[in-house]
Amino acid sequence: MSEPHASGSDGHDSHGGMAKYAYVFIALCVLTTASFFTYSSAWPYQDQPAVGWAFMMAVSCTKAMLVILFFMHVKYEANWKYVLTIPAGMMSIFLMLALVPDIGLRTRHYSEERWSAASVPQSMAEHHAEEDHEAASAETAEDH
Amino acid sequence: MAEHANASGEEHAHHVKLEYQPALPLNNGKLIMWLFLSTEIMFFAGLIGTYIVLRFGAPAWPKPHDVHLSEPIGAANTFILICSSVTVVLALEAALANKDKLAKGFTLVTLVLGSLFLGIKGYEYNAKFNHGIYPWAPHGQVYDRADPYYTSAVRTRLTALRADLEARASGEITEEERERLTLCTNLLENTVKPVELTAATSTSLVERQAAMEKLADMVMPLGGGHGDESHGLNDEHHWLQLPVRIPGGQLWASTYFLLTGFHAIHVLVGLIVFAMMLPMKLDSSRANFIENIGLYWHFVDLVWIFLFPLLYLF
Repeated sequence: MSEPHASGSDGHDSHGGMAKYAYVFIALCVLTTASFFTYSSAWPYQDQPAVGWAFMMAVSCTKAMLVILFFMHVKYEANWKYVLTIPAGMMSIFLMLALVPDIGLRTRHYSEERWSAASVPQSMAEHHAEEDHEAASAETAEDH
Repeated sequence: MAEHANASGEEHAHHVKLEYQPALPLNNGKLIMWLFLSTEIMFFAGLIGTYIVLRFGAPAWPKPHDVHLSEPIGAANTFILICSSVTVVLALEAALANKDKLAKGFTLVTLVLGSLFLGIKGYEYNAKFNHGIYPWAPHGQVYDRADPYYTSAVRTRLTALRADLEARASGEITEEERERLTLCTNLLENTVKPVELTAATSTSLVERQAAMEKLADMVMPLGGGHGDESHGLNDEHHWLQLPVRIPGGQLWASTYFLLTGFHAIHVLVGLIVFAMMLPMKLDSSRANFIENIGLYWHFVDLVWIFLFPLLYLF
């Protein structure tokens, strides 16, 4: 079958030209600097990492949209773009959500024995050590 | 082309002609590329999604500095890929304008930028390997906790180093090697042995744990802050390469190498195609081809846009 050539979408029109690419490039650089800003000591939410994570994801999604819309020319494509991208995008989210009960929440059902072999964050290790130390001190006091 | 047929054609002579379209309004190459990219979306979404779920469900996760990640290097790589995405679209525009040499020039710049990205990635991988962080067990020196397995691994490593140096001591030995032998012996006798003794005999869990944690801190303290350079035994004496305690480090290594490794393979494939393009005549007849490889390359850039904050800044 010969390749179908419908009018419009496949015609390699200039999609905004050099100026548009330059704007998108500058926007991408500014956004990269913005996400890097969370790493600097000037970032005001040092004690709330979730704020930084949400900010970085918002920046990443914006960058991704710019690349998809302008560099991949999706802004100028016909409606077939939705058929190919939306189901794949939804499947991506389902793939991640399907992992949450068994993988994401795995430590909820850890037994004491399993915890004894698990990696423990520094703060928790110190907390346990303090508790144990207090219990040991109380025991010593009782003995006396 | 099927025309709207009507028995009373004359009456409807001025009706709008309907056009039969045998397929989607895009060429076959581009359709296949987009179908491939939609499978790639799911492939990387699976990988990145698993990383996110594992990371936020993990009891402990290392801070970027504990695993020797450098944020500025990651940001530089992001910038390099963004630049390469721009040069690809510029190559396409040049080809559409029948400027063959210009299109080749932009393709060459893309190839150089992509190679630079891989070079920096290789440098980063090397930094991990030098610190005993490997994605697989035989070489990996990362332990999740300071427990008897960890102290025993430190002892094994020191004993092997000492045996090697002692074997050389029978022949000619340099002053530096003699100092190394002394250090190994000192560490084994005055540091590791007392720790293992406390861990085996103390009745207090606090004492047992504190002794093992102290040894782990001596080898590599966990800093985690910005610009904090940890100064443990491994940093002061690079040749020691003792096992390190990094809570969550093993899972981190598996996910980091898997994600960045698959991404690097994609970059490599793109670079091979760019290299193949260089001898071709890149005029408007090749525009479809350049557009398709461009779509692939932008997707590779897209994946890194998410990997950079997730791996380096979270």
